[in-house]
Amino acid sequence: MPIGNAQPSVRPAPAGRTGPARGGLSTERAGNRARRSRGGARAERFAPYILVAPAVLIIVALRLYPLILGVNFSFTGDGVRNGLAVGLDNYRELFHDPLFRTALGNVGLLVLLLPVAVAIPGLLATFIYLRVPGHRFYRGVYFFPAVLSPVIVGAIFNLLLAFDGPLNAVLASVGVRPVDWLGDPDVAMFMVVGVHVWATFGMALVVFLAGFATLDAALLDAARVDGASLPQVIWHVIVPGLSRTIQFVFVTTLIGMLTSMFGLLFVMTSGGPEGSTYLPEYYIWIQQGQMNRPALASAASTILFVIMIVVGLLQIKLLKRAGRED
Amino acid sequence: MSRVRLSRWLIAVPMSLLALATIYPLLFTANVAMKTRRDYILDRFSLTDALRWENIDTAWNSVGMGRYFVNSLLVVTSSVVLLLLLGSMAGFALSQLRFRGSSALFLGCLAGLFVPFQVIMVPLARIMADTALIDTYPGLVLVYVAQFLPFTIFLMTSYYRSIPPEIIDAARIDGNSVYGVYRRIMLPLGTPALLSVGILNALFCWNDVLMALVMMPSADHRTLMVGVTSLRGQYSDDIPTFASGVLIAAIPVLLVYLFLQRQIADGVAAGSTKG
Repeated sequence: MPIGNAQPSVRPAPAGRTGPARGGLSTERAGNRARRSRGGARAERFAPYILVAPAVLIIVALRLYPLILGVNFSFTGDGVRNGLAVGLDNYRELFHDPLFRTALGNVGLLVLLLPVAVAIPGLLATFIYLRVPGHRFYRGVYFFPAVLSPVIVGAIFNLLLAFDGPLNAVLASVGVRPVDWLGDPDVAMFMVVGVHVWATFGMALVVFLAGFATLDAALLDAARVDGASLPQVIWHVIVPGLSRTIQFVFVTTLIGMLTSMFGLLFVMTSGGPEGSTYLPEYYIWIQQGQMNRPALASAASTILFVIMIVVGLLQIKLLKRAGRED
Repeated sequence: MSRVRLSRWLIAVPMSLLALATIYPLLFTANVAMKTRRDYILDRFSLTDALRWENIDTAWNSVGMGRYFVNSLLVVTSSVVLLLLLGSMAGFALSQLRFRGSSALFLGCLAGLFVPFQVIMVPLARIMADTALIDTYPGLVLVYVAQFLPFTIFLMTSYYRSIPPEIIDAARIDGNSVYGVYRRIMLPLGTPALLSVGILNALFCWNDVLMALVMMPSADHRTLMVGVTSLRGQYSDDIPTFASGVLIAAIPVLLVYLFLQRQIADGVAAGSTKG
C-alpha cells in the first residue's frame, strides 16, 4: 500500500532528540547500566535480532526468495520439458497468445481510465472538505464498499447485471432494450472496471481527505475572498497543494487495478466473454491452476512484476521531483 | 453568500444519489435474501413481506457457508494474532533499538511491499507443496502473514518511532530486559496502532480469495470467500439462497465497519501519510 512512500522512514532515528538519550537506546549501554551478568548482557545484545528474526525470515522465505525462484522458473519448460532450460520460449509463447495480449491490452485500458478513477474520489473529497451539507454522512457511506471483498461485490453485481436481472428490468420499464452487461465482449470489461471503481473509490477518498488535512486552509480562504470560482480554487489551490497525495493515489489506484481485481473477474465474468476480460493476474491463475503451465504462468508473473516496478520507479521519481520543488 | 449556499445544496443532490447507489446494492441483496424464489421471480424490487430466515438457514447449513464461516474465522484470527505479534516485535526493534544492520533489515522488510502475491503465486505454491503445508490451515496462515507483514511492520515502526526514548531508558534503569520493555511498555503503548492495523489485516485476510483458492484446493477447507465464489455455479437459479450466502459473508464486515469505521479510516490514512 504505502509503496514508494517510505523514503524518509529509512532514517534509523527521528531527528530532534535532545539530551542524554540522543541517538536512541543502545542495548550495550543500557545493559551495563542495569549491571547484568555477562551471559545476560550477551542475551541483551542479541535481543534486537531475536525480535526481528521471525518477521525477516518469513518475509525472505515467502516473499523475496519466491520472487527469484519465479524468475528462474520462467526460463524453464512445462510438461515434458519440466525443469529444462528453454530460454525465452515462454515469453515468446506469451506474446503470441491472444489471451495474454488481451490481458495486456486491458492493462492499457486501465491506464487510460486511471485519471477518471482518480478524479472521482478527488472531486468528492474536495466537496466533503468544503463541507457540503451532509459531508460526514457521505464520508461514512462512500467508504463502505471499499471494505467489502471483491468477491462479495462481484456476486452482488452478478445479481444486478444478469441478463434477466433487475437493471435490465428497470431499463425495460422505460423502453430501453436489455443489454447483456456481462455477456457482451464490448461491454463486459467496462462493467468490471466500473464496478471496481464503484467498490474502491472510498479508499482513495479517505487518502485524499488525509491529504486535505495538511492543506493550508488560509490559502483557500484567501482564494475565496478574492472571488475565485470553485473550478479555479480546485485548479490553482487544491491541485498544487495536494500534488503528493494525487501522485500517491494515482500509483495505489493503478496497483489496486493490477492486483486486486481477481475476485471481481473470477465471480463476474471468469475472464469471458470470449476472453475479453482477462487481466495478467487472471491469466497467471488460469495457467497455473487450470492449465497446469506453471512455467508459463511464471513468465506472465515476471512481466506483471516488471510493470509494477516501472510504476513504482515512476512514483519515486515523481516524489523526488516534488521534493525538489518543495 | 446565498449563491454559494445554493450551489452547495446543488452539489449535495448528486452526492446523495451517489450515496444511495453505494448502499443500495447491499440493501437489495439483503431484501432478496428474505424473499421466496417465487416472490423474487414475480417482482424483484418489492420489499419482502416478512423476515424469512429459511434462505439464510439453507445457505448456512445445506450449502455449507456455516462451515466455511468457521474456517475463515479460524484462519483470520490466527493470522492477525501472528501479524500483530511479529509486526510489533520487529517494529519495536527497528524503531527504538540500535543494532548493526537495522536499516538494511528494515529495507528488506519494506521490499516485501513491492512483491504482490500474483507475482510469486507459482513458486510459493510449490514451496508450500514441498513443505506439505499446502491445503492446511497453518499453510494459509503463513501465506497471509507473509503477505501482510511488510505493511504491518511499516506501520508499527512508524508508530513506535513517535514514542520518546526516555520512556524506554527509564524502564531499562528500573531493571527491565529488552523483552520486558517490549511486553510491559511497547505492547500497551502500541494499543491504538495495534487495533488499527489489526482491523485492517483482519479485513484483508477475511476478504482474500486468490490466496485461499491457490493454497486451499480441497472443498472442506474452503474459506468463506471461496464459498461465495462456489455459489455462482450451484445456485444461479436460486437467487434468494445465493443472496443469503453473500449476505452471510458481508454481515461481519458490515458490523466491523459500523463500530470501527474510525480505526479503519485512520489505518488507511496512516498508510498513506506516514513515512
